[in-house]
Amino acid sequence: MTNLDPHPAREADLAITRRLLFGRSALGLGTAALAGLLGREGLAAGSPDLAVGDGLHHRPRARRVIYLFMSGGPSHHDLWDHKPKMQEMFGKDLPAEVRDGQRITGMTSGQKTLPVCPSRFEFRRYANNDRGVWVSELLPYTARVADKLCVVHTAFTEAINHDPAITYIQTGSQVPGRPSLGAWLSYGLGRANDDLPGYVVMHARTNFAEQSLFNRLWGTGFIPADHQGVLLRSQGDPVLFLANPAGVSRADRRAQLDALSALNEAQHERFGDPAILARIRQHEMAYRMQTSVPELMDLSQESERTFALYGEDARTPGTFAACCLNARRLAERGVRNIQIFHRGWDAHGNLVGEHRSQCKDIDQACAALILDLEQRGMLDDTLVVWGGEFGRTAYCQGKLTRENYGRDHHPRCFTMWLAGGGVKAGITYGQTDDYGYNIADEYGQPLTPQPSKEHWTPGTMHVHDLNATILHLLGIDHERLTYRYQGRDFRLTDIHGHVMHDLLA
Amino acid sequence: MPDETTPRTSICLSGFLVAAAALATGAPAQDHRVDFAREVLPILSDKCFACHGPDTREEGLVRLDSRAGATSDLGGYRAIDPAALEDSEILARIHDAGDPMPPADSGKRLTDHERGLIDRWVREGGEYAGHWAFTPPTRGASSAASIDEHVAARLAARGLDLAPEADPATLARRAALVLTGLPPEPAQLGRFLADPRPGAYEQLVDELLDDPRYGEHQARYWLDAVRYGDTHGLHLDNRRGIYPYRDWVVRAFNQNLPLDDFVTWQLAGDLLPDPSLEQRVATGYVRLNPSTAEGGAIPEEFQAKNSFDRTETFGTVMLGMTLTCARCHTHKYDPITQREYYRLLAYFDSTAEASMDGNRYEYAPVVRAPGDQDGWRRWQELEPEIRALTRAGRELHAAQQVEWRDHAKQAAGYRATDWRISDKVAGDKVAGGEVTGAAPPAGSDGWQAAKGLPGTVPKLSLGAEQVVWIEASLAAAVDQVLWLELSGGPRSAVWLDDVAVAAAVQPSGALAATPLRLAPGAHRLRIRLAGRDQATPVSVELVDPWQTLARGGDWDACSPGEQLRMLADPLAPLGDEPEREEFRARARELGSRLDALQQAYTTTLVARELDRRRPTRILARGEYDLPTGEPLEPGVPEVMGVPVEGQPTDRLGLARWLVGPEHPLLARVLVNRFWQRVFGHGLVRTPEDFGLQGEQPTHPELLDWLAVELRESGWDMQHVLRLMVTSRTFRQSSAWRDDVDDPENRLLARGPSHRLDAEVIRDVALWASGLLDPTMGGEGVKPYQPDGMWAALAHPASNTKRYVPDTGRRTYRRSLYVYWKRTSPHPMMTLFDAPSREVSCVRRSRTSTPLQSLGLLNESQRLEMAVALGQRLLREAPDRDARIDLLFRLLTCRAPTGRERAVCGELLATMRSGYAARPADAEALLGRLGEGRDTDLDPAEHAAHAQLAITVLASDLALTVY
Repeated sequence: MTNLDPHPAREADLAITRRLLFGRSALGLGTAALAGLLGREGLAAGSPDLAVGDGLHHRPRARRVIYLFMSGGPSHHDLWDHKPKMQEMFGKDLPAEVRDGQRITGMTSGQKTLPVCPSRFEFRRYANNDRGVWVSELLPYTARVADKLCVVHTAFTEAINHDPAITYIQTGSQVPGRPSLGAWLSYGLGRANDDLPGYVVMHARTNFAEQSLFNRLWGTGFIPADHQGVLLRSQGDPVLFLANPAGVSRADRRAQLDALSALNEAQHERFGDPAILARIRQHEMAYRMQTSVPELMDLSQESERTFALYGEDARTPGTFAACCLNARRLAERGVRNIQIFHRGWDAHGNLVGEHRSQCKDIDQACAALILDLEQRGMLDDTLVVWGGEFGRTAYCQGKLTRENYGRDHHPRCFTMWLAGGGVKAGITYGQTDDYGYNIADEYGQPLTPQPSKEHWTPGTMHVHDLNATILHLLGIDHERLTYRYQGRDFRLTDIHGHVMHDLLA
Repeated sequence: MPDETTPRTSICLSGFLVAAAALATGAPAQDHRVDFAREVLPILSDKCFACHGPDTREEGLVRLDSRAGATSDLGGYRAIDPAALEDSEILARIHDAGDPMPPADSGKRLTDHERGLIDRWVREGGEYAGHWAFTPPTRGASSAASIDEHVAARLAARGLDLAPEADPATLARRAALVLTGLPPEPAQLGRFLADPRPGAYEQLVDELLDDPRYGEHQARYWLDAVRYGDTHGLHLDNRRGIYPYRDWVVRAFNQNLPLDDFVTWQLAGDLLPDPSLEQRVATGYVRLNPSTAEGGAIPEEFQAKNSFDRTETFGTVMLGMTLTCARCHTHKYDPITQREYYRLLAYFDSTAEASMDGNRYEYAPVVRAPGDQDGWRRWQELEPEIRALTRAGRELHAAQQVEWRDHAKQAAGYRATDWRISDKVAGDKVAGGEVTGAAPPAGSDGWQAAKGLPGTVPKLSLGAEQVVWIEASLAAAVDQVLWLELSGGPRSAVWLDDVAVAAAVQPSGALAATPLRLAPGAHRLRIRLAGRDQATPVSVELVDPWQTLARGGDWDACSPGEQLRMLADPLAPLGDEPEREEFRARARELGSRLDALQQAYTTTLVARELDRRRPTRILARGEYDLPTGEPLEPGVPEVMGVPVEGQPTDRLGLARWLVGPEHPLLARVLVNRFWQRVFGHGLVRTPEDFGLQGEQPTHPELLDWLAVELRESGWDMQHVLRLMVTSRTFRQSSAWRDDVDDPENRLLARGPSHRLDAEVIRDVALWASGLLDPTMGGEGVKPYQPDGMWAALAHPASNTKRYVPDTGRRTYRRSLYVYWKRTSPHPMMTLFDAPSREVSCVRRSRTSTPLQSLGLLNESQRLEMAVALGQRLLREAPDRDARIDLLFRLLTCRAPTGRERAVCGELLATMRSGYAARPADAEALLGRLGEGRDTDLDPAEHAAHAQLAITVLASDLALTVY
């Protein structure tokens, strides 16, 4: 059983290497639990032998992950999944056999018709290392790095509404209460930089903040709370309470911390509780963060070339471009676990205007991040993931015109891409039917039975499969990264998940 | 992959190695029979049951979760062969050199120690016994008759003794923090330290138990467990009206409501006979699940999710059991079938609220209840009086039922028509009440038909200096009394047929409900409605207290307010008894007191049962759209006993079963959580799981002894807490001992020490600084938090999108009252491990992070508290040493050591000289305190003391219990 109280003395006594430690599971100790203890205390103590990239269960293909999360559900129809045949069907009712009983949300279940809604955006085929990939005019920059992307057309989920769907893809469960993907990674991998948090979350600015986010998406559920994502903010202190308050100088703080340490050391001599020493170390790390984080956020040393690459937006704190640039800077400094949330993809009406704006926010920066990582030799061991919690419907929600339309939520298929560490570059994976509605076989026929989380179907990627694959690339076996709570060994992927070996380089 | 050749050198395995060595030498191992329930069953559960347990489906797989299964004939051999124990297959399989059980692909492996235990158990007969937690607790065979005897016995077996007592000052601090969440008041501490008599400590404990802050502190643990929040929790995460429930919990603990009632009211207060308002408010427990109204969500799906949540939370909070597995399939470890899960769920599946919350604050059903503890106090005084009168009224009504019904029907025939409203006019244009006649009043441009009246005129509100005029025609069939309820302020007035009607003003500044006596025929009603705050809604209600009776309801269907008004009605057919006038006068008096009280009422979510139960079926794989089989009757898991005879099969029956004398779990689960909050860890260190996969109690007999003690004391929580904090075990010094190798303190060979919870950390600083506002109850408060934290996450339509901090005293309330937005709780709470309250939490983690350090030293309110505390030191103590003494007295209850004094003195000197040279910095720091700042103090001196205060507040002296 994992003990939630840190016992640093014992851990300090361990004084053993990580590899030695993980060899010990044969002796009946919970591997992950010990990993977690080390992640919390061993690393805080600054144990240099816990080297970056050792991996927990196997040699990792990526040492860090940057997850670009498009909250609200980007339309695969209008960005990635080209369906020219839908043009002929404009405005006609979606054939019943295509929908085939799929439950639809209360927002369109009352509509008299479900008119087919072809994308009004032009698609071009871009060369990759495979058959090429179709990309819409909304993503011109991303299209130009198509040869570095692994585009998956067949991501799917069961959830049809935002709160359950985003909770599902980020925590492996549709209802609150489970640790997030980022928390699992933090728990499994520990921290590689003593002066920065191990798991950083950013919220990028959007013109359409239509859906909510929740602390639970980077929260820890039942695992210790120090694995939660630390918000890197564009407003006020970049990290909460980072700056010394007005009237308190750095020298004042040093004097305070010296006094604090002296008082705590006396307390330790009196009681011998090693947790007191652990807290002394945390105070010192906070002191170091007060310089390391501002240094991180200071873009003045970035070159003009960099800003040309990411776009002028990157100079404005809080933009998606600035977040991407920060992500690269974090990655350079050893932070392994970085997430950017960009809201505003929930286009029930006015999809054309909204997605134009959304894509303008992200397109250049996504491409820039990949190119920048590549130039610095970091793309090989950095995994970049892009996608939302579900896709959007083939049929129109609300009024359909040639110029504009809306789309409801669609769980059965949507497009995500991965790039970098350990992933095949320049391929597309899986395909959907002529309506972008169902996952299809190579001839475009909907798969029967429907793919499900119960058994992996080649050519598909359930959200559990995605998460299993992310863990795998980082050196973690998703079936073995467990945390015992309420008598059960919980996993990010519940009892599901399949590592997508088809996507691995 | 694990390296099999790894040398076994680790120190952390010492415990295991010692145990193995003991086994090898055979010393203590053989002198008792193996205890199946405590020693073997956990091994079988963890290592075998996934395949050979309750959920075994594969044909031919032997089940090892019962003796019948284990001894069944498997074709000439048996897993356990009672006739030839040595030939039991289980022995062969676990020792198979080539392919030992459990199989390699299971990821499980038996240790030598575990294998040895199984060997011995089989050779001793392979008898089964129930899991300890499913057997009702008894005081047991042990002669130990107190906490200390139980603990000492276990220590003595290892040749150890209890640690020496902590010094009295430290002990007083420890007890006060444990019971009230705050240090002792200096005067109280002084009395205690000066009192040499035996029993002085016990007296201190009694004082602490009597302190209203006790209930606040204890309530917080319960609110974690039941996942109390001030918002709905999903999607928009809008506001939710539920804080009267939180205030009820505080009151219940302060009044030491017996825990069987405490639990019963929450589960089923609405189903008790003639439930009181408090009993109904307590059913807010049933409504605490997160809820959604996301556009497009499917109601049936959320009906299922809500019921899952309630069932599983019930499991954690009341049973200490995880039931979640059984939602989708029969539990793999614990003997709970999927069918039993859904029968338990059926108790919670027929409450009357819609499955989606409509994003509404008043997510019905709701009741109106006092909005703060002062209101509740007045309610508790008034309620028995009203109850006595309305009970007497019931008899009067019974005697004159026909006459009452007739009167009610005739009174209900009144009509109110032609509602008209004037434009808003500024108050100063209106001269008194002299305006009469049908013409629009002076200063108003005209009349128009009033949409929404009687009722509330949508989107129209009055400022404090504005009035509107309202008119209506009334027609009555009989002589009758109607009640007029206005939203307006004290300058409002009412005329009936141009005659001013006397109207009283409420304490809140609103006009009180006004009786209108109508003779048969037509009348003109004119109202001058005056605003009373920034946005008084324009609302006028006409209330006929007879309407419930007129609609065919009986006396008990009428609200207490209606009953009082009927009894006060001079026209009511009360009969001819001479005391009827007294009745009327009494009813009038109580009615107006109730009216006054109700002005400050708020709404709170409650449970109500549907008239017809929803059919509950097993949902295959837990999918809401896959119901299977016939509807199930509510029922309890068989392994935990049977429902109490003669009780209904509803939530009330469930509650009666839970608090019944044979229930194996509730008392154990509760005392374990009390132990956890007193000692830092439970006797069962997995308070969320008493099942087969949970930890064994460190002191099983003590746990059972306490559970019986709780039940036999009449479920007296304070009795049990008193036993714990007055025990010698609790009073031990918490210094780590060189002679005991027990870092987790499982032997209890030292006193408790751990970091305090988020709320306590904040409250201690508020208290020490003298800022703490002791006001109890009411809507959640919003102290400062960094800008933009809510807006960065919230849905644009959410009404919790903008965090508007409170000002003034409200920011100094105890942390229990801090507004709890479930998708984004206050950062100083989450930073120190407070849960989100989206799901039940019966054990918080206690982490240590650099972000906590930043919060402790830089957060705005901490600075404000430090400046206030520095000021207090300067004002209340004359010199340097006395100030450091006072600081230590407040935070540690003792004087500083010489070394501590030197450290503090040095910091003060450094800071003083620094701030003397940087007066602007001193001002910037001291400006935090605003108006409360004493500007007569020397700024450099004051700033230095503020820095000392925030430093000591951030140290382990203040941050931990020890």
